[in-house]
Amino acid sequence: MSGRISRRAFLGTVAAAGAGTLVPGAAGAGQAKPQGWSGRERVERIATLCEMCFWRCGVLASVADGRLVRVEGNPDHPLNRGRLCARGNAGVDLVHDPDRLKYPMLRTGKRGEGQFKRVTWNEALDYLAGRLKDLREKHGPESVAFFPHGIHARFFGTLMKAYGTPNSAEPSFAQCRGPRDVGYQLTFGSGLGSPEPVDLAETKLVVLIGSHIGENVFTSQVQAFAEGLGKGAKLIAVDPRFSTAASKADWWLPIKPGTDIALLLAWMNVLIAENLCDAEYLKQHANGFDALAAHVREFTPEWAAAITDIPADTIRETARAMGEAKPAVVVHPGRHTTWYGDDTQRARAMAILTALLGAWGRPGGIFLGTPIEQGSFEHPDFPESERGRADGAGTTFPLASEEGGVTNGLVDATLTGEPYPIKAWIVYGQNVLESIPQPLRTRQALEKLDLFVVVDVMPMEQIRYADLVLPEATYLERYDPPVFAATAKTPFVALRQPAIPPMHESKPGWWIAKELAHRLELDAFFPWASPDEHLARVVEPLGINMLELRNKGAIALPGRPYLEDRVAAGETLFETDSGRIELVSETLRGLGADPLPRYTPPAGPPEGFFRLLYGRAPVHSFARSENNRLLNGLMSENAVWMHTAPAKALGLKDGDKVVLENTDGHRSTPIRVHVTEGIRTDCVYMAHGFGNRSKAMHRAYGRGASDTSLMSKVAVDPLMGGTGMRVNFVRPVKPATS
Amino acid sequence: MPRWAMVTDLRKCVACEACTAACNAEWNVPAGFARTHVKPTGVAGTFPQLTSTAYVAQCNHCDHPPCIDVCPSGATFRQDDGIVKVDRELCIGCGYCVAACPYDARFVDPVAKKVDKCDFCAARLARGQQPACVTTCTANAKHFGDLEDPTSDVHRMVYLEGARRIETADVAVGPNVYYLGRPEHLDLVAATFPPHEPRFLAAGEAWRRLAKPLVIAAVSATFAGQAIAFFTQLRKGEEDFED
Repeated sequence: MSGRISRRAFLGTVAAAGAGTLVPGAAGAGQAKPQGWSGRERVERIATLCEMCFWRCGVLASVADGRLVRVEGNPDHPLNRGRLCARGNAGVDLVHDPDRLKYPMLRTGKRGEGQFKRVTWNEALDYLAGRLKDLREKHGPESVAFFPHGIHARFFGTLMKAYGTPNSAEPSFAQCRGPRDVGYQLTFGSGLGSPEPVDLAETKLVVLIGSHIGENVFTSQVQAFAEGLGKGAKLIAVDPRFSTAASKADWWLPIKPGTDIALLLAWMNVLIAENLCDAEYLKQHANGFDALAAHVREFTPEWAAAITDIPADTIRETARAMGEAKPAVVVHPGRHTTWYGDDTQRARAMAILTALLGAWGRPGGIFLGTPIEQGSFEHPDFPESERGRADGAGTTFPLASEEGGVTNGLVDATLTGEPYPIKAWIVYGQNVLESIPQPLRTRQALEKLDLFVVVDVMPMEQIRYADLVLPEATYLERYDPPVFAATAKTPFVALRQPAIPPMHESKPGWWIAKELAHRLELDAFFPWASPDEHLARVVEPLGINMLELRNKGAIALPGRPYLEDRVAAGETLFETDSGRIELVSETLRGLGADPLPRYTPPAGPPEGFFRLLYGRAPVHSFARSENNRLLNGLMSENAVWMHTAPAKALGLKDGDKVVLENTDGHRSTPIRVHVTEGIRTDCVYMAHGFGNRSKAMHRAYGRGASDTSLMSKVAVDPLMGGTGMRVNFVRPVKPATS
Repeated sequence: MPRWAMVTDLRKCVACEACTAACNAEWNVPAGFARTHVKPTGVAGTFPQLTSTAYVAQCNHCDHPPCIDVCPSGATFRQDDGIVKVDRELCIGCGYCVAACPYDARFVDPVAKKVDKCDFCAARLARGQQPACVTTCTANAKHFGDLEDPTSDVHRMVYLEGARRIETADVAVGPNVYYLGRPEHLDLVAATFPPHEPRFLAAGEAWRRLAKPLVIAAVSATFAGQAIAFFTQLRKGEEDFED
């Protein structure tokens, strides 16, 4: 048999070469008829990036006879290193979802009726360009608001800037990470970004404050979390609910919801009173220690115990555990952090605690991002808006990021016409009726618009109000701007490239933006002919091998994750005004806000009501994935967790169906009750993303209940505009029909 | 000859169901069914003194598999390497093995009308890959390998770290799937999901005595054809697999 390559040797070569190679898929010996995709004769594997959520794991997409058959983790990707969560594994079912948006559609009936006619892309884009020109002439370009989500929306974002509107806002800021990044920015001079730079694999102690790692799955973060625990790291889980993480914890602190700042202040009190802080680190790097010490002196564990329901001894014991493990302590900054409206201050308290432990920029703590240089194109300057932003970023909300924007600020402006009228929304890659709280107000805003355009993959509920619906290709069918992951421990550049051509009449985002730009005579802002040309330019400064990037999907870059790396290089360590860690924030003092965090009690539930808490399910992403065949098979509806005692008092048994009603009389769709000891008696909990109201999504429609539909109240963070959402109270009412 | 075994480390597992999803995608399992399940134990204890974990369930590839005894068509068989398999060509979808399995690891695929279950991803093993659930596990909690190989993770976990099987005094059929974890978590799994006595054994045996000749007659024609194809492929396969 000389001269023949054995199958195993061949497979080894293939594995080394990575993507773009033909792999013979073998039916196992003895299996007469192949079962599953791997029975296919020839398979091509393309390395690209997942988008079942927004962590940007690397995947290998297998294509057999032109059909996408399997999506697996890419072992060459520095973030997920070949592993992939349930959602990532279900990518094929997104592409093949029969309910996908398939062609452009123009509204025919009244707004809200959901009556459309099929149109060609030329008709759709000519219509949109015409309407946008008209709006610019009559109301100014600022009258158009843009709601993007994800890297694929960036081309369209460039178009919106070129068109002349500054009004772009993503829920990832004002409904998610905003307060956290602002709080850490104020303290350390830099925010956290995504992926969160938490050194979980090397830590000795993890402190989770409401974070539910495990139910919230980001593949690399779960890997590092499990690796750390496997190496003996201790875990403190602060959560009103016995989460998956709490079930692994050395200390579970079932805190009274909304009292986290009191606990954080008491922890600082113990660390300072018992000399458990990293004194040398603080002396070297931090301002304001004495003022902080004076500030927290009165916030004793006994004081906090009465507020938080956590015994004073437990507060002391956990603080001492932190002092012992320092600086290798991860106080996890969290991700969805818009809870009670004082969220920037809670983030500040967590940042200060991190500083006291000397954990910022230290192994086993919070590591540092490494900036990555990107290439860019020369284009004309974006037009300056004379009227400024309508969402309050930088004005009403002084610390709101202009990049992130304030979505709810745009809803307000649309409803009130202040500071000026908003006439059109372009929503891209998200469902604003689920991603922004107070959906009734959002719906009223939609009904008021002259133009509402949706660019998406699935027919979410919002398309009922749309004038124009543009079907975008899925992440497995398109090129997107490459990802420069600066805040990964191993920084990397990674590529999203099409594994198959777009199905139906869907089109990639770059094409949609470019075609529209041409119709608006804005071609100069897109000075590249093809995705290839775009890619080559933006990665040019890295001097990487393009073939390697295409084949492997990602290229790792050297990181400098710790302070010691920066000291050696003589770099600025903290980009605050003082150049040091600001335990006392002069910026906040200047804004008339508390320069040191304070606890303010949130309103509690009225008699007979429970605080509505919500979170993630590991097999779903937001309200996006519930229609996915595979994932719907794993979890088709959510349940509302209620403690045994109140359930008994209400005559509810596990599995009973109820409708939830909030204090404003808003009612949910029916949802099952999960009766458990694993939650406090004063709150209930459900996974977000269910209660789908789009009849065009056949699997998801009407399953479970939407937490967002019960959020008629928000507590707005005055510093950055985020909407605290854990301020709604609900009670179960038995459904009329049962 | 290897002796394959799986060890799931419940200290690391976060019950994210990536294993189930990867398996379903790999084997095109109909929605709502699974060859490997993640089953939460529910919460034991009284607030706030609570315990909970999850049972990662799959075919245990038992040394003494009750499923084989009840199979009337001979579709279920055990390979020399310990992998218990279902030959889909021989399976008549009667479901006796589904009832017999003490671990409820089998189901009748409603599309193919055949019994399906975990086969340790035998086709992937043949290609030199690990099972899909192991490859994808987000917590690196699943480990697969040869128990006889002293350098393997599973050998270390079973013989040195005390990984446990989920068995009872009454039902000990030699499972080759093991679990590591806090003792209270393993106890909770064993108490919540104890293997049950093989069901329908007696009925199965009676049925088999009566019906086996009939079944054999019914499938023999198919089988003869399959056998020829099978051996032809096997011969060809041997050439292909030569290293």
